Amino acid sequence: MIRLIDLLVKAIAYSSCIGIGAASITLIYNATRTFNFAHASLVAWGMYVVFALTYLAGHTPYHHLLPAALFCGLIGGAIYLTVNRRLLKAKAKDITLMMSTLGVDLILFGFLNVFSDYLLRFHRLPAKYFILETRDTVLNIGPLSIRLVGVVAPAILVAVVILLHSFLTKTKLGISMRAAIENPELLSLSGANPELTYAIAWLIGGALAGLSGALLTLVVSGYTAAGMTMIATFFAGAIVGGLYSIYGALLGGLLVGLGEYLGVSFIASLAGGWVYAYRPALPLLVMAVTLLIQPAGLAALWGARR
Amino acid sequence: MIELPPVVLQVILNFSIGLIVTVSLNIEVGFLGLPQFGRLLAVLTGALVAAAVPGRILAAYLGLPWGAEYAYHLYNFGIVAKINEVLLQAPALSLGVLLFTLVLAALVGGLVGYLCAYPALRLREAYLGITLLAFGDLLMTIAWNYDPLVGGTTGIWVVDPFRFVGAGGARFTFATLFMLLVAATVYAYAELLARSPFGRTLKAVRDAEVAASVYGKDVVRVRTQTLMVGGAMAAVAGALWAFFTGSMKAATYTRLTWTFWPWAFMMLGGIGSNLGVLLGVFLYTVTRTAIIIYKGALSAVIPIDPEWLEYIMIGLIIVAVVLFRPQGIIPERPVLALPRSRIEAVREKLGEEGERGAGSD
Repeated sequence: MIRLIDLLVKAIAYSSCIGIGAASITLIYNATRTFNFAHASLVAWGMYVVFALTYLAGHTPYHHLLPAALFCGLIGGAIYLTVNRRLLKAKAKDITLMMSTLGVDLILFGFLNVFSDYLLRFHRLPAKYFILETRDTVLNIGPLSIRLVGVVAPAILVAVVILLHSFLTKTKLGISMRAAIENPELLSLSGANPELTYAIAWLIGGALAGLSGALLTLVVSGYTAAGMTMIATFFAGAIVGGLYSIYGALLGGLLVGLGEYLGVSFIASLAGGWVYAYRPALPLLVMAVTLLIQPAGLAALWGARR
Repeated sequence: MIELPPVVLQVILNFSIGLIVTVSLNIEVGFLGLPQFGRLLAVLTGALVAAAVPGRILAAYLGLPWGAEYAYHLYNFGIVAKINEVLLQAPALSLGVLLFTLVLAALVGGLVGYLCAYPALRLREAYLGITLLAFGDLLMTIAWNYDPLVGGTTGIWVVDPFRFVGAGGARFTFATLFMLLVAATVYAYAELLARSPFGRTLKAVRDAEVAASVYGKDVVRVRTQTLMVGGAMAAVAGALWAFFTGSMKAATYTRLTWTFWPWAFMMLGGIGSNLGVLLGVFLYTVTRTAIIIYKGALSAVIPIDPEWLEYIMIGLIIVAVVLFRPQGIIPERPVLALPRSRIEAVREKLGEEGERGAGSD
């Protein structure tokens, strides 16, 4: 029973993180047609910012969620200004946009490893491989003890949904962002600046990726290639969500994460422990099947069209 | 046998393998415009064929265990050592094993390409790219965990068809030259393909799919055939690499090395241009080897581990090419179907006829 609750809490925390990350991919894809491969390293940078600050500045990892999100948001903005903006202006093809983020990802990955070496050499931190799970607070509710992340991660997911929703429907900038996604030329004719909305999309997208990585430090172990390992799961979340709806992505990420965690445990309870090794294959399979059977994803369920 | 310095051999070897994979990628991406982000799938398939099949056949022939226990690491070492002893004495058998495996790898790689046509006909752009990428990672996860195939996480040894020429340097030289030969063949094939009616059909489908199908080109068939050709080539590269390294561990076949790097080579050289691809692979191989050789000197100047420098460098190359020279170093040019002299001759003949026609009026 206690094991089951532990598993459930972890699954909820993990899938919330995937949901937040999937929303980042969807947001950037919709605003700028760019399928963001650099997401992998943004997530990993989020993890490392939390790790470094937790060790160097103290406090709990939760104190450093915001700096991590901010830092990755700035990287996102920088990616837009240096690479993405020029390509959008040149009306580059989707594949070219995608390849450019792959290049950015490799650069960010290289620098992340340099940063990790620096932490290891000059601060003697275990930067090659770290686990912050043990620094999590344990809540005692009656007979149950639940890790704080199991509450915080879904709470942040809900907060992200509410904030994004009010931003996109209530603020002028958010509304013009939706317009920029629908029809950039018409928007610029009406006097608004689509470039600003693209930049904001990258800022928010980067921040969400960083936030997702920052929270993930409390669920999974951290290493520089962690983002690369998990990137397929994030993509799966975004694609299962339909790739055109941010709410779909949040839900899709949640489902893929839960499916990966609980699905494998369930199959393992029937077929035996060897199933656990195939865990990384599950989100890939879910994604491939979704794409081949229902490419519009979950968003099609409530009739959301781009 | 000629003795080349190991550095030169290493460059030729990496160049040859890189060329085969990148040429195969270029046929799919450059000629046909498919977002092939799953090159790893076919390469890994080839490596799996080389690791799992010839060793088992030889083991069965020699009366050694060849079933699931062949891949069990405690037995595998002994079995492969015995097979290698036999291969060492039998050059004809070694060459036979080598060629048979390459043909088999090409066939299975072609089959993988055929299977990839299913999503490739239904999905577009980013969706297709991600699906193919997922397929590559799926196969890697399976090969990494399913022990009876190639030993899972412990890996297995691969039989060595290069060893009969001698140990160490001789084997290295032979393997390198053999790979160069295969790479040259693949390159020549790609060049012929570009000049053939089939190559022109590919580019027509890429540039104007509707127009091509209106003119009676079977787009479905063209896509399927291209995926099969590309898959077969990449699988040959995978099999060669597995033979050369002499061991098989699925996790060493990453999408970074076998998908993203070839993409970078291709983009640097020029998407759709065979000569560009050749140059891209060559430039990159030389630079990379230089980084490895001058590792010590480099880290004295820049306090960065050269391994990370390599990532940053490839990333910068991709970004710079995309931003400043999207057509690559040697851009794609219309390929002349006939040699220039023949074209000139035809033109002159037409000109004469034209003059005669004008005179008779």
